[in-house]
Amino acid sequence: MLETEELKKVFKGKTAVEGASLYLDKGESVGLLGPNGAGKSTTISMISTLLKPTSGDVRLNGKSIIKNPSEMRRILGVVPQEIALYGELTAYENLKFFGRIYGLSGKALEGAIQRSLELVGLAERQKEIVKTYSGGMKRRINIAAAMMHEPEIIIMDEPTVGIDPQSRSHILEMVRQLNHEKGLTVLYTSHYMEEVERLCDRVYIMDHGKIIASGTKEELKSILSSEETVWIELDRPYPAFFKDLQSFKVIKQAVETEKGIKLILPKGSRILGEVFQASERHQVEIINVNVQKPSLEDVFLHLTGRKLRD
Amino acid sequence: MKSVFLLQWQRFRRAPVMMLSFLIMTIIFVALLAGNNPAERPAILAYADDSLPESEAEDWVASLNKAEEFNFQLMSEKDVREAVAAGDAPLALRLMDGNYRIVLAADDMGRFVLEAFLNRKYREELRFQQVEQQIAGSDIRTEVAGLMEEPPLQVTTTTLEGTEEFQYDNQLQLLFGMTLFFSVYTIMFSLMKIVEEKKYGTWNRLILSPVGKWEIYLGHLAYSFAIGYFQIVTIFILFKYAFHFDVGDRFGAILLIIACYTFAIVALSMLVMGLVSRPQQLQAVVPIIATGMAMIGGAFWPIELVNSNMLLAISKILPITYGLDALKGVAIYDRSWQELSEPISILLLIGVVCMGIGINLMERRTY
Ligand SMILES: Nc1ncnc2c1ncn2[C@@H]1O[C@H](COP(=O)(O)OP(=O)(O)OP(=O)(O)O)[C@@H](O)[C@H]1O
Ligand SMILES: [Mg+2]
Repeated sequence: MLETEELKKVFKGKTAVEGASLYLDKGESVGLLGPNGAGKSTTISMISTLLKPTSGDVRLNGKSIIKNPSEMRRILGVVPQEIALYGELTAYENLKFFGRIYGLSGKALEGAIQRSLELVGLAERQKEIVKTYSGGMKRRINIAAAMMHEPEIIIMDEPTVGIDPQSRSHILEMVRQLNHEKGLTVLYTSHYMEEVERLCDRVYIMDHGKIIASGTKEELKSILSSEETVWIELDRPYPAFFKDLQSFKVIKQAVETEKGIKLILPKGSRILGEVFQASERHQVEIINVNVQKPSLEDVFLHLTGRKLRD
Repeated sequence: MKSVFLLQWQRFRRAPVMMLSFLIMTIIFVALLAGNNPAERPAILAYADDSLPESEAEDWVASLNKAEEFNFQLMSEKDVREAVAAGDAPLALRLMDGNYRIVLAADDMGRFVLEAFLNRKYREELRFQQVEQQIAGSDIRTEVAGLMEEPPLQVTTTTLEGTEEFQYDNQLQLLFGMTLFFSVYTIMFSLMKIVEEKKYGTWNRLILSPVGKWEIYLGHLAYSFAIGYFQIVTIFILFKYAFHFDVGDRFGAILLIIACYTFAIVALSMLVMGLVSRPQQLQAVVPIIATGMAMIGGAFWPIELVNSNMLLAISKILPITYGLDALKGVAIYDRSWQELSEPISILLLIGVVCMGIGINLMERRTY
């Protein structure tokens, strides 16, 4: 129902997004994944008619929305990355206003407010001033405000950044319900792999303004089907040991973290013997070694040579 | 537009302190400062020094008193000096042959007014004397006075300097100056909500809704106008009826001038926000603009006292200059509508130009 064609955005000579082509089918839940500054928010702003692309097109049911955004705006709900609410008003007053600007009034308005509040589980606390809410509650009202006019497509820009695990899982469960039970089409942006793995049918991976991979979760993971991930848990970082491992020809990617080292290598590489020999040479204490199935995180690592979050 | 407008009032009711503080500050400033100075003619002690004979000094004082702006009292030098030293008089006048000095005990605002007055009077008087010496015997004074009353050529000028005798009304100067000055804060800070909305993302929610962009702007502009207008009118009514300030009989004209001035300041705020986009920067810029404009435009002291040509030139583009000019024009000089139409139309022109440029700058930044 929604597609973009070679979207490009240049800010004062700096290219933020280049050649982004993606599509959303009705009822689908699609993830847009990428590290900070990848161009996710910029892409979303162009899709939601808030930003004019430098070039390229966005089409809703085959019709371009760039010249004519009203149809798109009518069926679209946008949850922005920032908390876009009036802090000095109550949650109820905020929702009332956002409903009113969509032309709701009277019973319909009141109904929409209560429905949205129940959706995010904050009906009992609607009379409280938004400023006094916790980060997680603000995020939930931020979502409720986008649901007031019952949109068909909802675009969420990192709706779970910086909140407690409880609010986070509440939000994830809510999005899943909206998608599965109400048939809402969802475009979900995040730099948390787990969220996208849990919520989305298909995934686009962005880096440096470009879409570097796309497909269902299985398709993406099959990029790594001929590879496996070896996780070596250590008691502390050993730079010399890590350097030694990096020089092994068979290892495609090696990443060092606080707790250990992750290696991506061809399936059946039989490398463990050499790893243990190296560990003796450097007097490294290995706590645990395990061979894992690749995750989306590993796919990202494979594609960019970087971890998604540093 | 209506929902956006009403929303701002709702938000104002939740956090009214800052906006109301400008209203309250104006009232306190005007009441305190004006309370010290009764409206009657200020008395100025004067003495003649050795270069000026007693009789001539008396002539000078009589001629100065004719203008009915100050009440000069001729005394002995000793008495005057004692009064000044004791702090009974903040300043005094020393008359010399064809010249004068102001004796100052402490820095006093009144000094500028006195100085401007004396300067003009002395120049006039000395010119008369010069002419009299050259055309001996002729009665040039009576002739000139006659011509002044029935000029052979009638010229009406309505520029700021005008042909009117400069009249200083301390109460109204304070009331008009302080009120217009503080209202700049109220208006600019209230319109800053636009910049905040853009920063915090609520602006995007509005843009995505069926409400048109012009309606959003109009809602904000109307709110800013209303709160600024309300503040100025409240203060004027308060001082007119509770403190009995004499603002003349044409309150309707004053209301109209306030509306034009408020519009111009709302538009100027738009321009400022088109140039400065971040709320924190605006917090710093607004006081600079308000104070600078008030100083140059004559809100703190009468613009008639400003001598620098550069400052006067700058004052010609400031709305506060025309707002004060028009208000004084009604309240002090009782000018005709025809004369008032000039400052009023300049205010509207400034408003239209600033609004046009401001919105354009703001909109350009969006993409
Ligand atoms: N208005 C703007 N003017 C100039 N540069 C911008 C603007 N908006 C974004 N950028 C730049 O474009 C790039 C992409 O930004 P964008 O916000 O789309 O990234 P993102 O993937 O959403 O990142 P994050 O995870 O931090 O939200 C960044 O380098 C950013 O600095
Ligand atoms: Mg972003």
